[in-house]
Amino acid sequence: MASPSTGASATDKVSQRIVDAAADCGISLVASLPDGWITNLISHFAEDARFKHVAVNREESAIGLCSGAFFSGMGTFALMGASGFLTCVYAITKINYTYQIPMLIGITLRGRPGDRAKFHQSNGLYLEPLIAAMNMPFVPIERAEDIPRLATAYKHSRVMSRPVVVGFTREVLRGEA
Amino acid sequence: MNFEACFRLLADRFKDDIVVTSAGNCSELWWEITGETERVFYLEASMSLAPLFAAGIALGTTRTVIALNGDGAFAMNPGTLLVERQLALPNLKHFVVSNRVYGSTNDLGHPFGEIADYAGMAKASGIERVYDFSTIEGLGQGLDEMIRVPGHAFGVLHVDPLGRHVPSPALDGPEVKFRFGRWLERTGGKPVFDVPLPKT
Repeated sequence: MASPSTGASATDKVSQRIVDAAADCGISLVASLPDGWITNLISHFAEDARFKHVAVNREESAIGLCSGAFFSGMGTFALMGASGFLTCVYAITKINYTYQIPMLIGITLRGRPGDRAKFHQSNGLYLEPLIAAMNMPFVPIERAEDIPRLATAYKHSRVMSRPVVVGFTREVLRGEA
Repeated sequence: MNFEACFRLLADRFKDDIVVTSAGNCSELWWEITGETERVFYLEASMSLAPLFAAGIALGTTRTVIALNGDGAFAMNPGTLLVERQLALPNLKHFVVSNRVYGSTNDLGHPFGEIADYAGMAKASGIERVYDFSTIEGLGQGLDEMIRVPGHAFGVLHVDPLGRHVPSPALDGPEVKFRFGRWLERTGGKPVFDVPLPKT
């Protein structure tokens, strides 16, 4: 991976900005399962000594681990793709809503116009309506200028004692927006 | 072995440890036997995640953290063993309570305990310290080694179905959170909540 300061790709630069924003707001545990759009971002988290990064076996496991780590006083970030997030409804509603445990969840905004993967179009139809149906605060990160909103979302999850989800577009993750 | 006798033995030994119980009989019976309201997190929700929830707690403490996980829950997500192996937390002890039924839903049977070797699955996942307890005597003899010797450990408790209904813990979710979290803070843990309670 190129250094963020010398010859870094646009993707590296935006990944580093997201990682720095996460560190600055107090996140120290990142549990992830990759989506093709966030492999670079996950690598940045994994290689950054400010974080303990855990590769989980499935997305629900990230919810379980991060929820427990709340009691370790750790700021947590569960990072996953849109499809994986959809598998977490049971864990989020049963753990985080029942016990009022905060957490920041990061997802890819798959299925939006511009995503050419046919198998992700269902996410375009159901992802954001499902987040709304769960009454989960949703913060889209659509431009680089939106990255500081990650800290706002994290703090909001602590205030409301529930998860908050931030959604990254392909364009912002590639450094194109 | 008898389920209730097994849990009474565990409760007698786990006097100062942090305990996380999974949904169903594990939470219900632990509550009935101990009535504990602070040192235990009754994760009466989301089957399969008790061990990783416990792992998250174990990340922030040197105290022993014990996960009591039902076999129905374990069968839902045995891949958690791979994450546990990756973490290799020396203070995390994961028990699968194998009663071969879904205890909280009228003891409806499931076949997994008959066809799968949970201890073997743990070993195959790279977990080195694996225990298998089928008798009260064996549990009494081996339990301290599993719990007190530092190092991540996985144990299977082969018990008979409880055969009776047991009420759920009489605590709402936020009450469990605050009692447990404030207890951690009060007993030397890191700050959990953003605002501490005033010292009295």
